[in-house]
Amino acid sequence: MEPTRNSHATLVDLLDRVLDKGLVINADLIISLAGVPLIGVNLRVALAGMETMLRYGVMKEWDERTRAWECEQRQKNVEPIYSA
Amino acid sequence: MQHSEKTEVALMAETIVKEEGKYVYCVANAAEEVSLGEIGIEGDEVYTIPYRDICAVVHRCPAQPYQSDDQELVKAWVVAHQKVVDAAWERWGTVLPLGFDTIIRGEAEESAEQKVKDWLKQEYEDIKRIIEKVRGKAEYGVQVFWNPKLVAQNLTQTSLEIRNLEEEIKTKPEGLAYMYRQRLGNLMKREMETKADECFKDFYGRIRKHTDDIRVEKTKKVEPSLSMIMNLSCLVYRDRYSELGEELDKINRMEGFSVRFTGPWPPYSFVGGS
Repeated sequence: MEPTRNSHATLVDLLDRVLDKGLVINADLIISLAGVPLIGVNLRVALAGMETMLRYGVMKEWDERTRAWECEQRQKNVEPIYSA
Repeated sequence: MQHSEKTEVALMAETIVKEEGKYVYCVANAAEEVSLGEIGIEGDEVYTIPYRDICAVVHRCPAQPYQSDDQELVKAWVVAHQKVVDAAWERWGTVLPLGFDTIIRGEAEESAEQKVKDWLKQEYEDIKRIIEKVRGKAEYGVQVFWNPKLVAQNLTQTSLEIRNLEEEIKTKPEGLAYMYRQRLGNLMKREMETKADECFKDFYGRIRKHTDDIRVEKTKKVEPSLSMIMNLSCLVYRDRYSELGEELDKINRMEGFSVRFTGPWPPYSFVGGS
């Protein structure tokens, strides 16, 4: 299958990245957002019409366990498997 | 009177200069000092501040965060932020994107421009290391969903334990049957999780093979008939994504499963601290 980046259908994917991730600059150099309500949180909820996290989902614990498992796997196997 | 007014205006101008900020979109692997035109989040001029062979892509702004309750406006800002990062990515090939609303503030003793330069200088080694890590690669989002109803139905058919319990319930009087149904519910939940575990580990292994690096994100709730069991960000060589796509096709074709494949994104998930 082919990856898509259609701006409408993948807006939530974009927000997940642009609002939560990216290169980090030392806090003392940038304008503090402390006290400012997290921009985009409401937007994401509205856009997706869903709870962002699995907060109330039945599989929350499973989700956490799985991610912990993956973390271990990745640490055990730091070399990329990708063959050049 | 007139004199003091002028002084006030001059003072205000000085304050504005002091409080100037630089909104930083990304760091590019290029030594250019150039303007990208008025493509900033509010039509501001976007340009580069170079240090050695790298540069920060910025626009000039007041030293205050962009914030609004207007969701359409925020949406437009975020999309515009991404367009600038895309333009830089297109032009220079390798960029390290920053998150929305990262503004370096100037101070009386040091301009925002100088602070950006100092930051590039101080972080130079780290930035170059990350550039090498992501060079020639892009980020792809992979989300795997299953239909919990269908999975539960299949489990009922294949699990002897579940079938036995269901049979037993039929023979019990109402009060007892209630307790048995609770037991069935718990059993079902356990079996679903075991099944999800198996799928996750299987898919993870198969997907990992086609990626250079991988991040497992939190799963999200979508709708009752579709639950996300996997949410990955994958770092992949830009010309190798089709192999990943083929693997995802196989998962997508499994009954009760579906896959979302998004990208290419600039490597947002692979330039941060963790």
